[in-house]
Amino acid sequence: MPQEQVRRNAQSQQQDETQQQRSDDAQQRMQTQDLDAVLDDIESTLESNAEEYVSSFVQKGGQ
Amino acid sequence: MPQLRGSQSSSRADEFVENVHDRGFSRIFGIETEYGVSVTENDKAIEAGQVAMMMFQPVVTRSRSTNTYLGNGARLYLDVGSHPEYATAESRTPMGALAQDLAGERIMGRLAADAQQRLREHYGDGTRIHLFKNNTDSSGHSFGCHENYLLRRFVSLRTVERELIPFLVTRQLFSGAGMMGPDGFEMSQRARFLDDAVSSATTRSRPMVNTRDEPHADPDHYRRLHVIVGDSNRSQLATWMKLATTHLVLSVIEESVSLGERSPFDSCMLADPGQAIRQVSGDITGKAPIMLSADVPVREHSCALEIQRSYLHAVQSFVARHTSSIDAILPDAAQVLELWENALDSIDRGRWRELSSWVDWAAKLNLFERMRARNNGGSPQLEARIRQIDLEYHDIVNGVTYPSLMSHGALRSLLGEDAIREAVSNPPADTRAALRGAFVDAALRKDVLWACDWTHVSLASGNRLEAELLDPFNPEPTEEYLRVMAAVSEPKPSQNW
Repeated sequence: MPQEQVRRNAQSQQQDETQQQRSDDAQQRMQTQDLDAVLDDIESTLESNAEEYVSSFVQKGGQ
Repeated sequence: MPQLRGSQSSSRADEFVENVHDRGFSRIFGIETEYGVSVTENDKAIEAGQVAMMMFQPVVTRSRSTNTYLGNGARLYLDVGSHPEYATAESRTPMGALAQDLAGERIMGRLAADAQQRLREHYGDGTRIHLFKNNTDSSGHSFGCHENYLLRRFVSLRTVERELIPFLVTRQLFSGAGMMGPDGFEMSQRARFLDDAVSSATTRSRPMVNTRDEPHADPDHYRRLHVIVGDSNRSQLATWMKLATTHLVLSVIEESVSLGERSPFDSCMLADPGQAIRQVSGDITGKAPIMLSADVPVREHSCALEIQRSYLHAVQSFVARHTSSIDAILPDAAQVLELWENALDSIDRGRWRELSSWVDWAAKLNLFERMRARNNGGSPQLEARIRQIDLEYHDIVNGVTYPSLMSHGALRSLLGEDAIREAVSNPPADTRAALRGAFVDAALRKDVLWACDWTHVSLASGNRLEAELLDPFNPEPTEEYLRVMAAVSEPKPSQNW
């Protein structure tokens, strides 16, 4: 393979990776915003005593 | 009556090859979901068992029992240990079974909401009932979500053990419901509680596949594969994918047995499925080594991802071989394969967060990690809050986490409200459930004494009349069934003569 082409391929691969990285970052930011919205939503409505909420669930029997 | 069969397996296999384009790979699907009950914010003490009884009061009034069948063909009952349980009607597709399972959530949710109203009169206005669609409680009890697949009888249990178990052990990569375990995050809620791969008991030792021989169909042709290794999913896509991928794997197994070919899954046999499932559960990279059976030539170890890829490749090739009949085998098979492959690729690249829109464990872990990041690390209070959300996610009555994830588009759905409402009142139209549902509806309307199970409907008043419904694929009324229905619809003799 001529050297010119190798360089071009390497360049375009790098561009692809940068683009991928950018779109990943953007997706990550959106996901974080969604999660923050969910957490803001639920943290105000969850029952206040977290430990009691969990420990009060004891189920006997079952398969 | 228990029936032991299997000696004629080779002739049945021949028949199957001839029938491949008839009922070939068609299957009946069902899901049994056990729900956990708790009560909080009450002024006076009350046991969870009492709460469950209270939920079932309207059921007892209607059916004189805590064990009944519904107009949509499903079974609703209170199981050992006060577990409300819902078993879906027979469905021919994973999507149909999903609709029926979601109908079960609605029906259970309504029973709980009504009971909560009544409880508040005596136990305080703040009293809340929680109904958990999960598989473990705060003190380490486990309960199940059982999947039922009608399987051709010529596939022996030994074959199931060899060829299906490695799939069941590793599919938690996308079907696990996730939990904060004592030693950290785990993908599966059930993994820690299972030991033998195949067994006939369920509560003493917990197997992965239960072999009680109750096919609820012609025992010469079918067995009912009762898979008890799976988690209860909240994600609609996860429920659907769990059933769809398992169905395709079973189809591959049925085909290779019927053609007498070498199994494509020979290289996946595990040395110790019980140990393997626990190892897989704690490893979200999917790459931790799992010991293979000594019968597997050359290789000693594999990993969850590699085993899943073997199954995926065999299924891809199966689907490619049957393109002309694929709609009959599984509608949306292409989408199933794509989601499956994407899931494995994402995990392979360490990008499990990409799965958080449909894989329950990823949705939960993503949320927990964000909570820790927002709070600059961990604290005992934060960890307690995480454990609360870990449980709260599964509460179908008063839970806020799951609905919030849905409304912010962080979790995807497959079925809309209309489809779920439809499944609350109507059985699948193309199975035996249609007959059962119509019978139950008619019997309730006429207020007659009735009984039914998966394979029978009967009238107890007057001359006892019974109809057997042995073929789960058949929604067409038999003469026997029509006689029962005619008796149900007869006007009741007047009381004033």
